Amino acid sequence: MLNRHLPSVVLLLVLIIAWEVTVRLTGISALVIPAPMAVLTVLWDGLISGFLWQHIWVTGAATVMGFLLGCSMGFICGVILAEVEPLRRVFWPYVLAMQVVPKLALAPLFIIWFGFGMQPTVVITALICFFPLLENTMTGLKAATPEKQELFRMLGARRWQTLVQLKIPSGLPIIMAGVRVAIVLALVGAVVGEFIVGSEGLGASIIAAQGMMDSTLMFALLIVITLMGLLFYQLTLLFERWLLCRWLKGKTT
Amino acid sequence: MPEQKVQQIGWHLMSTDAAFFLVDDVSYAFADGTSVLSQVNWHIPSGAFHCLVGRSGCGKTTLLKLVAGLLQPSDGQIMIQQAAVYGPSSKVGFVFQTPALLEWLSVIDNVLLPISLHRRVLDEDRDTARELLELVGIVGLAERYPAQLSGGQQSRAALARALVTSPPALLMDEPFAALDAITREELQEDLLHLVALRKTTVLFVTHDIAEAVYLADRVAIMDSGQLTPAASIDMPRPRAADCRYDKQFVDTCQQIRAAMTLQTGKTAC
Repeated sequence: MLNRHLPSVVLLLVLIIAWEVTVRLTGISALVIPAPMAVLTVLWDGLISGFLWQHIWVTGAATVMGFLLGCSMGFICGVILAEVEPLRRVFWPYVLAMQVVPKLALAPLFIIWFGFGMQPTVVITALICFFPLLENTMTGLKAATPEKQELFRMLGARRWQTLVQLKIPSGLPIIMAGVRVAIVLALVGAVVGEFIVGSEGLGASIIAAQGMMDSTLMFALLIVITLMGLLFYQLTLLFERWLLCRWLKGKTT
Repeated sequence: MPEQKVQQIGWHLMSTDAAFFLVDDVSYAFADGTSVLSQVNWHIPSGAFHCLVGRSGCGKTTLLKLVAGLLQPSDGQIMIQQAAVYGPSSKVGFVFQTPALLEWLSVIDNVLLPISLHRRVLDEDRDTARELLELVGIVGLAERYPAQLSGGQQSRAALARALVTSPPALLMDEPFAALDAITREELQEDLLHLVALRKTTVLFVTHDIAEAVYLADRVAIMDSGQLTPAASIDMPRPRAADCRYDKQFVDTCQQIRAAMTLQTGKTAC
């Protein structure tokens, strides 16, 4: 474990040192590229004073809420569209149209509808998470082999039994791949959403730091966002492993 | 007693009356009009083991699915125990070409699926499933998951699943086609033992002539949607594994093979 990650850690240290040395030797302005030590100091101060935690909390909450809302809606709509052929025929063009609309371009409209703050951010994040789940659920529900579907017919299974006990479990690996895509998009959506509609949060803080020409703070915020993204992704991965442990059984051993 | 009475009336009537499966002048065509089966007649008496051989794509699986009620005939009728078939029946267990086990359920839960879909699984059901797994020789793997099993073990689990509700009949669609020769022979032997024990009526589809001759009381041949009446296989039971090398066995295989090529020749003309 340690040996595997050691080269990556060494590379990181080398890059930071090279960056620090370059900045000091060239005397480049902190507005363009701040020194890593200065960035880490700002980051540390922000964490100690609690100034950053407030924004981490707001962005984290918006990401998680938007993610859960978007994923559940995407999953439910995916199941409905996959199961009810007439609805799919009617709604598919609209789904496609909604999918190609840049969701962030809707932000100004959401400000009118929901005002500034967390609410429009959550809605934007949810919209962004909705489509990977919709697509993957619709694909996943087709994953059960024809023989397994015939088996369920032979056994006299009801339609919802076939859905819950065959189609959804068969598609779960595909659906979970959609969840993994969604969690990464969720954080991007929340941060960029905050650029436009946020009064609080890491995205809004980046805009504020830009207004104050405080590049050092912007770098510190970017580091926080990156770490949050990694954390969310790892948590999703753990959840997926736990959920799919039965599917993976025997394939890894 | 009633059976004796029927015998006096005549062989034809008896075999129709006692038929478990009765395929009566059945035709089947795809929606675009392509004919798959034409005027197929067949009766399979209760407790008999009939095999259907034929080349790939000749309509074997279609006939099996019609009998199972998974498809509806374009013409004619299929009866199971004198009742017309309009959909899948609980009297019939189906074994597919692939084991079709659910990867997320343990072997025993897969075997119990036909029960758990309809009611809560009781302790007796678990005992039945264990007994069946014992009979097919994989009781030690009951708590494993399908991906941890070999192909032969998966086929055994699929067989146990088809038998767990003790259906009076089994429909089998080349269930052992993907297995190696030795494993296949073992499974054939175990299958014969199981169905003899339970007096199960079996309709077994295969493209392997030797498999058909080893298993069946009667073998019917299908070619381009036409069925040749089932020929009787006059070999004593129980059949040992090495009866495959007897002269009678080899001759029977040759006869069926000759009949198959003859038919194909006819349709080619």
